Amino acid sequence: MGVAFVAHCMLNQNSKVGDGAHCAGVYSPVIDVLREKGWRIEQMPCPELAFAGLNRFWAVREQYDTAAFRRHCARLATAVADVIALRVDQGEDVVLIGVEGSPSMGVTITSSDSRRGGRPEWAEGTSEQVDGEGIFVEELRKELASRGIGFPRVAGETHAISGHDEAAQRAGVEAVLDGKNL
Amino acid sequence: MERDARSFRVALVADQFVNPPPGGVDGIAAAAQAGWGVVQLPADDYPSQVAHRLLYEVAEQSQEFAKHGYDIVLVGQREGLTEALERVGLAEPDGIVPESPVQLREFLDSRPSPAAAREFDQAAG
Repeated sequence: MGVAFVAHCMLNQNSKVGDGAHCAGVYSPVIDVLREKGWRIEQMPCPELAFAGLNRFWAVREQYDTAAFRRHCARLATAVADVIALRVDQGEDVVLIGVEGSPSMGVTITSSDSRRGGRPEWAEGTSEQVDGEGIFVEELRKELASRGIGFPRVAGETHAISGHDEAAQRAGVEAVLDGKNL
Repeated sequence: MERDARSFRVALVADQFVNPPPGGVDGIAAAAQAGWGVVQLPADDYPSQVAHRLLYEVAEQSQEFAKHGYDIVLVGQREGLTEALERVGLAEPDGIVPESPVQLREFLDSRPSPAAAREFDQAAG
C-alpha cells in the first residue's frame, strides 16, 4: 500500500474535453482498485482545464507544446512534486495513474499529429496515438529529477485507447500497485 | 461516438472524506453513487505553502466550472479555501460536513439540476 497520485479526471469526469466524459463523475474502474487495495488517493490538478477551459477542442501534443503551456505545467508539477516529496519522505510507496492517449497526462501513450491545426476537421479514422508521455508528465519527471526523487511507477486509464479492455486496464493498475513497472 | 456522460456536478471534498479513516464517511463512494465529480482539497498535513498553491488551482478550476453553469458544493472544510475562492470572485459554495454517508447522499441528491445540464439536454434534443 502507498499513495497513488491520480489524474484529475479519475475523480472528476466533468473536467474532460467535450464528448470525452465516460461517466458522470468518478471513474470507478480505476478508483475501485485503489480503494480495494488500500491505497491513499491524491488527485493532481487537470493541466488542460484551467489553461484552455471547458470549451477546449480535442488536441494533440503539438497543439499544447508551447512555452506558455509548459510554464503552466511546470507550475503544477512543482506543487505535485512538493506533495510527492512529502510522501516519499514519510516512507510511502508512490505510484502515478495517468490517462493513456492524453496530450498532457499520458504515461506511456500520448497523442501526436504534427499537421493538426486550423479548422478543427481531420480525416475520419486518423490515429494520433503514439508511444510517449504527455507534457505535464514530462514536466513532473523533470521536477522530480531536479530534486533527486525517482519517478514513480506508472499506470494509465485506457478508455480512449482503441481496443480498450476494462479487465486489462484493471490488471495494469493492479500490477503497478503490486510493484511492477509497465 | 458515445454521448458525453458528465453530470455537470462537482463537489469540492476535504481530504478526510476522500481518504476517510476507518469508520469515516466515504465521500468518493457517495459522489460516485450520486453521479458527482470530486475535486480533492489539500490534506491537512500539507505544508501551508503547498496547500496554498493547490487551493489556488482548485479555485481557478472552480471558476471555470461556475462560469459554465456547473453546480459546485463543498463537502467538509479546508482552511484557506474561502480566501482562494474569493480571489477568483467566487463565494464559498453550499456545503455540508456529513456525519454519515446517508446524510451526504441526501445532500447531493437534493441539489437542483445545474444550468449547464439543462442547456446540454436542450442542445441534444
